[in-house]
Amino acid sequence: MLPRILRTENFRLAALFVVCFLALATVLGAIVYWQVQQAQTATLLDAVDADIATIRNGFRDEGVKEAREIVQQRLGSSEYQAAHAPIGYLLLQDTQKGWVAGNLPAMQPWTGLLTIAEPGNRRGAAGSMLGRGEFLSPTLYLFAARDLAPMVAMRTHILKAFAWIAAVALVLAIAGGLFYSMRFMRRIDVMATTCHAIVGGRFSERMPLRGSGDELDRLALSINAMLDRIEALLDNLRQVSSDIAHDLRTPLTHLRQRLENALSQSRSAEDHAAAVTLAIGDTDELLRVFNALLRISQIEAGSRMAGLTPLNLDQTLDRLYETYLPVAEDSGHVLSRHISPRLAMRGDAELLMQLFVNLLENALRHTPAGTHIQLSAHSAANRITVSVTDSGPGIPAIERDKVLRRFYRLSRSRSTPGNGLGLALAAAIVNLHGGAIELDDQAPGLRVSVTFPACA
Amino acid sequence: MSDLPILLIEDDRFVAESVQQALMQSEFLVQHAADGLEGLRLARSSQYQVLVVDRMLPGLDGLRLVKQLRAEDVTTPALFLTTMSGIDDRVHGLEAGGDDYLVKPFAMVELVARVRALARRPAAQNRPTQLRAGGLQLDLLQRSVQRDGHAIELLPLEFKLLEYLVSHAGRVVTRSMLLENVWNIHFDPQTSVVESNMSRLRAKLNAHGGAELIQTIRGTGYRLVASSDAA
Repeated sequence: MLPRILRTENFRLAALFVVCFLALATVLGAIVYWQVQQAQTATLLDAVDADIATIRNGFRDEGVKEAREIVQQRLGSSEYQAAHAPIGYLLLQDTQKGWVAGNLPAMQPWTGLLTIAEPGNRRGAAGSMLGRGEFLSPTLYLFAARDLAPMVAMRTHILKAFAWIAAVALVLAIAGGLFYSMRFMRRIDVMATTCHAIVGGRFSERMPLRGSGDELDRLALSINAMLDRIEALLDNLRQVSSDIAHDLRTPLTHLRQRLENALSQSRSAEDHAAAVTLAIGDTDELLRVFNALLRISQIEAGSRMAGLTPLNLDQTLDRLYETYLPVAEDSGHVLSRHISPRLAMRGDAELLMQLFVNLLENALRHTPAGTHIQLSAHSAANRITVSVTDSGPGIPAIERDKVLRRFYRLSRSRSTPGNGLGLALAAAIVNLHGGAIELDDQAPGLRVSVTFPACA
Repeated sequence: MSDLPILLIEDDRFVAESVQQALMQSEFLVQHAADGLEGLRLARSSQYQVLVVDRMLPGLDGLRLVKQLRAEDVTTPALFLTTMSGIDDRVHGLEAGGDDYLVKPFAMVELVARVRALARRPAAQNRPTQLRAGGLQLDLLQRSVQRDGHAIELLPLEFKLLEYLVSHAGRVVTRSMLLENVWNIHFDPQTSVVESNMSRLRAKLNAHGGAELIQTIRGTGYRLVASSDAA
């Protein structure tokens, strides 16, 4: 488990963050340390210089005696009488007579800044002092100093504080990194499990969403959209396969029966020829069904989207009307048109022709002679609506949605030739063009309307 | 009349034999190539009236073969044969330089009619502006028709139908050839589109009397008689 976590992107980010934070803490600590040291040294030297100035003034005004008194007075003050150790040190010394006053033993005179180890060394090896020495007269030497221990202690505190901050940050960063990595990994694991389930055949499984809209959610949404599309295509394929298996068995059985009868019962060459002719007719009908199914699934797969070109639908429909007017007259129907000019859209001319031929032929074939059929088209609000309206028997409301399905045939139409694929093909072509198909009751009659987006 | 040379490029032996037989019975001289490369070599080397090319061939597929020939300025008309497949196939076939397209399985009369329509087709650059056949006179610019001096009024699609028949005068045109070329219908309609429109055209052509110009060839299609005394 752990090595995998260490390999996650989140953990790597957390580790990088920790390193950056530690570097920042170190730099910050060093700066603070240095600044504090500077400030403390300056304060300390100020105090030393103030002592020296007071004693120097006393000596200048009133001589050695006064200087010694000031030294003793200062050593007696609270500042020099701290509980454990003196904070400050003074030494007044005559080059000939030796020690004069102070809490330090006589020493080799040194003018200027001087750091020396504390003589008593009462607070450990680190104890030391910083001071300044100068000659008040050619023979009188003064050294004033302050204990460095409090300063060192303060700086140690600062360093400790930064070390603590760094340690806490390190722990928090590692814990946070592990937490987020584990959560991230759990979500990835869930996604992987879902993928395995889908691979295993449970195609309805989907990636879980947390609803936070984060990057994993967005990825899951994209994957789900892809899965939806794939599932739809698979369903389509499954549907086609079962349709073929189901609806082609009957005609194939007939064909086989016919050929078998011809073999066993035909007595003359004429009998054989008649049987073969009928068998060829059966085969052609089967091929028509195959072709229609193939076309539907190809159109549904959207493989022809690239073939959409700008065209004038009114011209297509006018040609259609002129082509079918004689057909309608011959079958005793009354065909009329009401087509607005300039209906520009993007489409596949060949498929649109098939769509409207199917709709018009449905009206011609499934209504009795004398029925009025109107082909109309107009555009409004960037939509083109084409409708085929008849005054025939119509379609019962409960069957209206079903007729768009493959192989669905109204019970009363079973005797008319046809394979129940015309409207399914029409619906597929409409979908390819981003349109909608609708069946309405005309009481009496049926109106099939198709709506497309128009070209600007 | 000497037999017209046809090159058949088809790898399916059974289909090739049936096609060869049907074309030979219709006075074509058929040479057969079983793969694309041999087909390409033959198509380059000899003068054929029509190439009948299967889309799927070993060696070199039919589309590329015809594309290659067109690139070499070989303009012999080509008819593609294909198993039923993509709806874009016909478009691709025409784009590659094919002249017609037939989906397997097909009726042999359909193939023969289409090959005959492609053979000795007038070259595209010198298309006539007038067509004459069987006492008919078509002015393609004015879109007017006369039969034995009588003007005949035709609707635009009726004119297109007659123009197609006249330009193939004396040859059989099938229902699907008419549907594709006159009405842009590339599938089998469920109503009598061709028959109904044909009967209107016949009635108009015969309005001033005279023999029937358009013969119905049973089970196949129609033929416009080439000269008025042939009927």
